[in-house]
Amino acid sequence: MIDSKRGSAFAERMNLKPTALLCAAFFGALVSSHAQLSWEKTEIELHPKAGDQEVIANFQYENKGTKPVHINAVRTSCGCTVASLKKNDVLPGEKGEVTATFKIGGRTGIQQKVVTVDTDDAAQPQTNLLLKAVIQQPVELQPAFVYWQQGEAAKPKTITLKAAKDVAITKVDVTSSSPDFTAEVKKGSAPGEFKINVQPKDTSKQVNGTLTIKPDYPQAFYATVRVTGAETPR
Amino acid sequence: MSTSAHVQSPLMNAQGDHGSSRSLLWSVLALAVGGVFVYAGALKAWDPVRFARDIQNFHILPWSIAIRVAFYLPWLEIVTGLALITGFLRTGALAILSALMLIFIGATIAAHARGINLDCGCFGSVSKGLSFTSHMLIDLAILGTLIALWILPARVGRRQP
Amino acid sequence: MRGVLRQTFALLGLAFLPAIGQAVYERERVAWSEQAMTEDEVTVEQARAWGDSVLWVDARPEEQFQQQHIPGAILLNEDRWQELLPEMLNTWSPEKRTVVYCSTQSCSLSHAVARRLRDEAQLKNIYVLHGGWQKWLETNK
Repeated sequence: MIDSKRGSAFAERMNLKPTALLCAAFFGALVSSHAQLSWEKTEIELHPKAGDQEVIANFQYENKGTKPVHINAVRTSCGCTVASLKKNDVLPGEKGEVTATFKIGGRTGIQQKVVTVDTDDAAQPQTNLLLKAVIQQPVELQPAFVYWQQGEAAKPKTITLKAAKDVAITKVDVTSSSPDFTAEVKKGSAPGEFKINVQPKDTSKQVNGTLTIKPDYPQAFYATVRVTGAETPR
Repeated sequence: MSTSAHVQSPLMNAQGDHGSSRSLLWSVLALAVGGVFVYAGALKAWDPVRFARDIQNFHILPWSIAIRVAFYLPWLEIVTGLALITGFLRTGALAILSALMLIFIGATIAAHARGINLDCGCFGSVSKGLSFTSHMLIDLAILGTLIALWILPARVGRRQP
Repeated sequence: MRGVLRQTFALLGLAFLPAIGQAVYERERVAWSEQAMTEDEVTVEQARAWGDSVLWVDARPEEQFQQQHIPGAILLNEDRWQELLPEMLNTWSPEKRTVVYCSTQSCSLSHAVARRLRDEAQLKNIYVLHGGWQKWLETNK
């Protein structure tokens, strides 16, 4: 964002004088809120294993203030994340936690979900907790879909299977749900890489098929193959 | 005859006093902060529509206002940054830049406090580049330097009798 | 004090000149009243104009899809991606324009699904509905 660009340019100058630093500290002290609830961490990063259906993050808090704090609500930004709380009233000195459960579903990559905590503390009415889940795909299919148009030459097309860095795959078997498609596997140029060459018998009719791709790994993967209609986009 | 060093702060309207010289410290700080604003302004002026989208993300201004601000603000930054560096109209420049920093800081705090409120968001990018704390520290450091420029004398030396 | 004000207004006015110049230059290319769209977004009107060549994809959670959805739309969300993707791919055809939507302009589900369709299935002509389901409802009245 803009601020980060200005920030890095400013940092490059390295001309901050003590006066300026003092001023910044003074303002920083003014601006910092005297919130009652102190959060151990407001960002938690989790690395679920392959096959995990959900990830759970526990955000710990403690009332380090002198007044009780009432948590009005705990909200999430979407339906895939559910947040829960054991009790809403936090007395001074009491500790507790907000549990965020994120259903992984078919999601991949880095997923960030926000849990918002609303309290009656005027100095800190809202706190955003960030659940960051790094979901690794054990195997990547590039692409997961190949097709031929009716009348197109029935030449083979390639699906590349790439195993993730710490996943060892030495063998891949492929079966086609439809007799109209044949598939064969060849080793790729890098370790953990395989080339799946698919070919339709002919492209005279429109047909759909699924390739079941079974590497030596406790999970099967699927690719869709089709012969589609012949028209081109308007 | 005693010579007394006459110290002038930019708050006093300099009327071309001969004999006093520009304070090096002041010029260096002014170059630093002014340069930052010119650089930042130039980046935004390059792609005003993208800047307008960034303003949108704060959810404070409606699009029709955000797009007009997106065209004006970068040039304001460039012009006031240059004013600060050259010393020309520097008092006005300090006033405008300080006000801008207060607005930026306020908007950042407001956006952070409100969090991401979407009915079906599942938004990914909470942190765009730097965390909230880093943003704030840098903004406050810039504001602090501007305050230093208010207080410190821009010119030191003696005024011609 | 008056000096400061005068200088302030001078600078505010000075900045106006290049800003107006740039705005006039970019006059045609900028959306001044409605929010600018990302490159892959289309408005409801545009999608309607495409008529039958549109394949509507609903990226919302299943409960919302079951309640109401754009007529003819297929559900494809990240919750059940591996399961729903083949169904969508079997309905798709190369001459169709795929338009993905979620509930509003600010929700990002449609963009996520569109991106995955482009990356994983390498489909072309994938668009996102500007304004989402909400905009569809508004323009349908």
